[in-house]
Parts: sequence; C-alpha cells; structure tokens
Amino acid sequence: MSAMLEVRNLTKHFPIRRGVLRRVVGNVQAVNDVSFDVGEGETLAIVGESGCGKSTIGRTLLRLLTPTGGTVALDGTPVMDLSDDDMRQMRRQMQIIFQDPFGSLNPRMTVAETLAEPLLLHGLATRDDVAQKVADLLETCGLQPWHAGRFPHEFSGGQRQRVGIARALATRPRVIVCDEPVSALDVSVQAQIVNLLKDLQAKFGIGYVFISHDLAVVRHMASRVAVVYLGRIVEEAPVEELYATPRHPYTRSLIAAAPRPDPAMRNVRAPVQGDLPSAMNPPSGCAFHPRCPLAQDRCRSERPELRQLGKARVACHFAEAEPVIETAGEHRQSDALRQRLAVLEAAREKEKT
Amino acid sequence: MDAPEPIRPWWQRLIRDPAALLAAVVLFVIVVCAIAAPWIAPHDPFASSRAVMKPPVWNARGDWAYILGTDGQGRDMLSRLFYGTRLTLIIGLVSVGIGGVLGSFLGLLAAFRPGFDPFVMRFVDIMLSFPAILLGLALVAVLGPGAGPVIIALAIASVPDCARIARSIAVSVMKQEYIEAGRALGLSNMALFTRYLLRNSISSIMIFISLRFGQIILIGAALSFLGLGARPPTAELGMMAAQGRDFLLYAPHIAVIPSVLIFVIVLAANVLGDALRDVLDPRLRS
Repeated sequence: MSAMLEVRNLTKHFPIRRGVLRRVVGNVQAVNDVSFDVGEGETLAIVGESGCGKSTIGRTLLRLLTPTGGTVALDGTPVMDLSDDDMRQMRRQMQIIFQDPFGSLNPRMTVAETLAEPLLLHGLATRDDVAQKVADLLETCGLQPWHAGRFPHEFSGGQRQRVGIARALATRPRVIVCDEPVSALDVSVQAQIVNLLKDLQAKFGIGYVFISHDLAVVRHMASRVAVVYLGRIVEEAPVEELYATPRHPYTRSLIAAAPRPDPAMRNVRAPVQGDLPSAMNPPSGCAFHPRCPLAQDRCRSERPELRQLGKARVACHFAEAEPVIETAGEHRQSDALRQRLAVLEAAREKEKT
Repeated sequence: MDAPEPIRPWWQRLIRDPAALLAAVVLFVIVVCAIAAPWIAPHDPFASSRAVMKPPVWNARGDWAYILGTDGQGRDMLSRLFYGTRLTLIIGLVSVGIGGVLGSFLGLLAAFRPGFDPFVMRFVDIMLSFPAILLGLALVAVLGPGAGPVIIALAIASVPDCARIARSIAVSVMKQEYIEAGRALGLSNMALFTRYLLRNSISSIMIFISLRFGQIILIGAALSFLGLGARPPTAELGMMAAQGRDFLLYAPHIAVIPSVLIFVIVLAANVLGDALRDVLDPRLRS
C-alpha cells in the first residue's frame, strides 16, 4: 500500500555565488536525501534545531522552492514533474500554514478577500455563494462571521493564525504543511490552535507535515516524528516510541534540552554541546559526530545510513548496540519536557471547555 | 460578541487632520482657479496695457482694476496667474503621471522578476547620471522649446527615481511571507503582481510620487525660468518669475507673487502627500 504523500530522496542545495561573475563557490546543503511518507489523517512531525533544514523540507515538497533532486508524489501523482499550470491545480491539494501570523496574511486584503481568493481561484465557490462559504470557513476555524470585513492587523496573533488555517483549509487540501504554526503564540493560544488542528484533521482526514522545534507540541500533535539534523533525517519513529526509547544520541539530547517551564528548575543532563555545524561544509562521516557523546573513529569516516529498526528508522552506527537502559517510558523524558507537556495538556483541557 | 463599529473611510479620517485639511482646501482652490481660468480671469492675460508695473491693490498706488497689479508689459497679474498656474499644474501632473507609472512599473518588475533586475537597475543608473535640467536642455535643443518638450523631459527625468524607489519598496514586499502564501495558493503571476505586490507597494510609491510632484513643478519652473519652457506670451509661473527678475527693485510683486504661489503649491502637495500616507496605510490606523 502506498501512502498519500510520498517523499523520496528530497534534496535541496542552495548555491553560494561570489564575485562579479557570480561564480558558484559552494553549496549550502539544506536538505539531503530526505524520504518519508504521510498517510491520510496522519501527522508526521519534523523536528530539529534552528537551521537544520526543517522549513526547507516543507517548502521544497510544496515546490515553493525548486528541489535539487528527489521526488514527491501525492496520491500517486508525481508533483515535481507537473507543468506550471498543472502545478497550480495541484496546489489545491497541498497547502501550508506559516509560522508568522503577522507576515503571512496580505495586509491589504480583508479576511473575506483572503479567504475568497482560494475558493474562487479553484472554482470551489461562485460569486453568489462565496460570502456564505467564507462565513462557514470562519466558523469552522473558530472565528465569527463578522470578522470577514476586517483587516489582518485588527486581529490578535491567535486569531490571525486561525485565518491562516482557514485559508489553508479553504481548498479542502489532502496535505497541509504546518511550518511552526504555534511557535509564535503563547501557551494557551498554542493549546487552542493545537486543538483546532486536531479537530480539523479528525473532521477532514487531512495529512499534516508538522514542522516544529517544540517537542511538547509535537508530542500532542504527531503520530510519527522525524528528527532532522543538518538536512538529514537521523531518526524516525512512532511518537510514543521516540519519546520512550530515543535511539539516536541527537534525539536524546533534544529531549533533554526541552525548555523548562519553571525557571527555578535546573536541567539535569547537559544538552548537546557546541553549535550546529555549517551546512556549507558538513562534517565527514556522521554529521553529528563532533557533538556526539558516543562518537568513535568509525563515525568520523563512515556515514551511517538510515535503517529500519523495529518500527523506527535510525541513522546511527550504535543504534542497536546502545543498551536501552531506561525502558519504562515516560520517566525517561527529562523533567523539563514532562513539565512542559503538563502545562500544554492543562491548557488544552481548559480551552476545550 | 457583537461586531464593533466599522472603521471610517479614508477621506473622513483625512479631513480630521487640520494640516491636511488646510492643504487639501488650498490645493482645491488653486486647481479650481486653474481650471476655471478662462471664466474668472478679469482681463486678457496676453493683452498689454499702458498701466505698466502697477502695484497690487494693497499698495497706496494700486487700484481695483488690477487686483494684483500688472507686469512689465502692463498685463494683468491675476489673470496671468490663473493661466500660469494652469500650465504649471498640467506640466507637473502629466510628467509625473507618465514618469511615475513607467518608473514604478519598471521598479516593480525588477523586484518581481529578479532576472530583470540587473538590466533595469543598470538602465536606471545610466538615466540617473543625467541631471533633469541637462536632459531638458538637450530635449529642447532637439524638439524645440515649448510645454510639450518640457513635459517629455520631466517625465523621462522622473522615471529612474520612481523606478528606484518602487524597486526598493517592492523588494521588501516580495520578502514577506504572504507572497509565498499567495504562491502556495496557486495564484497566477498576474494576480500575485497586482493583488499582492502592487497593492502593498502602491501607497508608499504614491507618497513618493506626490512628493516628487513638488520637485517636478520646481524643475519645470526652473526650465521656464531659463527660457526653455513655454514660449512668451504664454503664462507659466516659472517664466513669470523670470520676467519679474528685471524689475525686482521697482516692482517686486511681479517676481514675488508667482514665486510664492509655486511655494504654496509645492508645500500643500507635500503636506497632503504625507497625510495621505498616514490614512491609506492600514497598519497606521489606530
């Protein structure tokens, strides 16, 4: 059985040009050989630190950036080979929600115009019933019909994000790439938006590619998680498994490095050392070896392939060898993450009522 | 929740600003006088009389037949002022209109299609190396003097400035995430260009053009002052100031009155331009 969205060997390099002649002097390897599937009604989270290529993956798979290589197929249709006209049609099926609720809405268009645009463009409404459909959309996303006549700057961040979600939802897409949709919001609004996204998924069976650096939000949203380091997936696993028994050392440090909701609390384990290496000149062998506590000679010379390990895929030479000491699930997580989760959980419960 | 009161339309907010209201009224009166020149002018603006260099009515030697006095050839100042304003405004508006539209289009295109950018901007750089006055001199030498060549020269001189400003505004608009959102919706380039880029750039560009309008009127007047613009006996504010130059000591009003009018037009246009930006930009609404 093939999944709804199939991404295979997606690669995106940005050439670096220097000098008067704009000669190519190098490449930023933002995304390297990334493959994953997303099923109907499923959420795949892509996590990683800033600059690891998460957003580039999202934009490249939507063809907002032209990939250097690789294929993307939605319901069996190869997206990358489509002509410009066919691609415009295809965009109806794949939408995006942006991180910045302030910058992603056209400030000169009212909410009604913003939402009517995709409806009319893809022939989902006529001039006569478009107002009604816009009102329905607003309602679906938890806004009031009278919000239609307003401009984006008249809304709060959470409300704007709802408008952004309504816009993405307007065309009834199969897949929505959520590019850090709640990172710019505070916790209670985060909870509202997470609830909304989950409700919409349950209602319409949308597949989400959920890009985030916030492991607590990912825990609530995702069914599977792909951890990205320097443009490559280093581990992909079902969400419970990933949090209970992270196999890649980078995943473990990410979980340990979750922000503490209580400033008085100290991080027990030291998070990963050093900075993300340059994607222009990635380290030899395993890209994580300069920061990895388990690194050995083999890691410096040989790049570990992503390989199946039970329900997970891991790219570490020692994924099997590493003894899984703490198997008892949740207590394995750092206290910080557990507290973050509790805060979000409480907020979600509160917002539901 | 009830819907709060809707925001007032922009022109209602504009007239709440006293400076803008004053500028608008002044400009309106000047434009009406200019349009109505043939009907409200008390005398023939081109006919000389024996009453040479008569001072305005507020001077002891003035009289009500010539409210603003007469010039060195005994022509009625007030009538010439009406006609002169008309020509000055036409030169300014037409040249800024042509130059602004062409320049803005080039600038927006350069930002929208980065492939065109180096070509457009090098072209603009070349154009910028000619001062407007020099361009005017050259064009007048080719086409002969008159209002037409001056308009063409000023329009051409406006293109590079407008292109530059439009490009810098548009480049910052193109970086906004909503442009990407529009692409992700599958909008055509045409829709992206007009509804997203143009709509978000236009008010800033309009402010620049309205400020440019003042400058262009000044350059146009300067060209006429140098004798390159409209030919006598046509009236034009810059030319009238030039003609008054010879009598500055005996009859200062001949040079001063048109100069003051130029000043008032330019100032009112600038004040109104600033106020328009404030009300047209939705982000500045409070």
